[in-house]
Amino acid sequence: MTFRIPHSAFRILLALWRLNLAEELQYRANFVASVLGTLFWIVTALLTLAVFFSHTTRLGGWDYWEVVVLLGVFNALTGVIEAVLRPGIGRLAGEVRSGGLDLVLAKPVDPQAFVSFRRLNIWRLTDVVLGLALAGYALHRLGRVPSFAQLAAFGLALAAAAVVVYALWVVLMSLAFWFVSVENLSVLFDAVYEGARYPVSAYPEALRFLFVYLIPIAWTTTIPASALTGRLGPEIGLVAALVAGVAFALARLVWRAALKRYTGASG
Amino acid sequence: MSHRVAEWGRRYAALIRNAWLVDLQYRASIVLWLLWGVTEPAVALGIWWAIAGDGQVAGYARADFARYFFALMLVNQLTIAWDSWYLDGWIREGELNFRLARPLHPAHEAVAENIAYKARTAGMILVVWLVVSLVWPAVRLPLAPGRWALTAAAVLLAAAMRFFISFTTGLLAFWTTRATAIMELHAGVSLFLSGRLAPLALLPPAVASAAALSWFPYMLAFPVELLTGAAQGTAIVSGFVGQLVWLGVWIAAYHVTWTRGLRRYGAVGG
Repeated sequence: MTFRIPHSAFRILLALWRLNLAEELQYRANFVASVLGTLFWIVTALLTLAVFFSHTTRLGGWDYWEVVVLLGVFNALTGVIEAVLRPGIGRLAGEVRSGGLDLVLAKPVDPQAFVSFRRLNIWRLTDVVLGLALAGYALHRLGRVPSFAQLAAFGLALAAAAVVVYALWVVLMSLAFWFVSVENLSVLFDAVYEGARYPVSAYPEALRFLFVYLIPIAWTTTIPASALTGRLGPEIGLVAALVAGVAFALARLVWRAALKRYTGASG
Repeated sequence: MSHRVAEWGRRYAALIRNAWLVDLQYRASIVLWLLWGVTEPAVALGIWWAIAGDGQVAGYARADFARYFFALMLVNQLTIAWDSWYLDGWIREGELNFRLARPLHPAHEAVAENIAYKARTAGMILVVWLVVSLVWPAVRLPLAPGRWALTAAAVLLAAAMRFFISFTTGLLAFWTTRATAIMELHAGVSLFLSGRLAPLALLPPAVASAAALSWFPYMLAFPVELLTGAAQGTAIVSGFVGQLVWLGVWIAAYHVTWTRGLRRYGAVGG
C-alpha cells in the first residue's frame, strides 16, 4: 500500500503538462468550441430542471436553486474528468489491448500515477470555473451567504468528490485487465455518473443505498452541494475526506491486483 | 425484376452477416453502449417517479411513466443511428475512398450495420423487459396485434428518418471538422423535442406546439406513444403523415449533401 511520491514525480508531471500546454495552445479555436459546448450543456441542464420544476416545487426535498448548486458542482467535476481523467486513464483499455502499456511500465515512475495524470486537456478546465460560477450564482439566488465553516467544508467535500470520481475511474478502468476486448469501458463511468445529476434523495430507497455505500456517487455532487447550502453541517467535510481516503485505498488495491494480470501484448 | 430482388437479397444477407460477425467480437462493448443508452431514460423515469408520488402529473401516474420510459428505451434502441460518427471518420481519414471504389453505395453497408446492431440490442432490451414485466405489472403492455403492427411501421419510418439525419449530418464532414459537434447539438435539442426527457404533453404548451412543427417528435415520441397507447385516432394519422413528410425532406437533404459533397471531395482528393 505504499504510495511513494519522489520529488522527481512532480518534475516529470510538470514537464508533461508543459508539453501538453504547448500542444494545446496551437489549437485556440478549441477553447472557444469548448466554452460554447459547456454553455450549451449548462443551458440544456437548466431547461431540463425547468421542465421538472414546472410540475413540482421540490425534487427529493430540494428546491430549484439548491439543485442548480448541485448542477454547478456536477459541471465542475465534469471539467476535472474531461481535462485529466478521460484523456489519461480513459485511454487505458485501448493500451491494455494493444500492449501499449508496456511502454508505461518500462518507465521508472509509478504506473498508476503516470497513467492517471499524464495528460492535461487545459481548455476543459473552463468547465470547473463555469461550474463553480453557476454554483455561486445559485447560492446568491438562494439568498444565502455561506459561513467560513461551510466554505471550508465545501472545499474539503469538493476535493473529496474529485478523489472519489478518480477512484471510480481507476476501479472501472482496471476491469480492462480482465475484459481485454472491451474498448469503451469509460462508457461505464458515464452511465454511473449520469445518476449524479440530481440529489440522491430524489431516488427510490434502494438506489439511494447503492449510491451512498456501494457506487459512491452521492459523495460526488450531493454531499458537496449540501455542505455549501448548509443542508448538512460542516462536519460532513471530514466524513467526506474519510470516504475519499477509503475509496482511494480500495482503488489502489484493485489497481495492484489488476496490474498483476497484465502480461503484455506487444511482445 | 425478381432477379434484381434476389440479387439485392443476396447482397444484404452478406452485408448483414458480416456486420453481425464483426459485432460478435465486441459483444461486451455493445452491452456497455446499451447500458449507456438506457441510463438517461432510467434516470428520467426515476425523477418523474419521485415527482408523481402517489398522484398524477398532467394525467401521468407512476405506472404511466414506467411504461412510457420502457417503451422509449426500446424504440430509441431500434431507431438510434451512429452513422454521423462513422462518416466523419471515413471522410476525414480517407476511409471513404475504398468504399467509393466498390460497386455498392457505402450507405448499404451502413444500413446493414444498423440492422445487425439493432437486432442484437433491441433483442436484449426485449428480454429484460419481459423479465421485468413478470415481477412489475406497471410496465406490461396490452396485447393488441393491430397496435403492435402500427408501432412496427412507425418504428421503421423513425429508424429510416434518424438514419438519414445521422448520415446527412456526417456528410457535413466534407465541409467542416465539427460535423459530430453538430450532431451533438441536434441530440441536445432532441432531448426536449423528441420526448426523451418527458412525454411531450408535459412540456410547456408553446414548446410542445413548436416541436410539432419539427421532425423531432416523429423520431421517437410518436412511435413510443403508439406503443403505449397514448396516441389515438387522428393523432395516429397525423403522426404517420408527419413521419412520411419529414422522411422525404431528409432523403432530399441527403441527396443534395451527397452529390455536392462528393464533387468537393473529388476536388480535394484529386
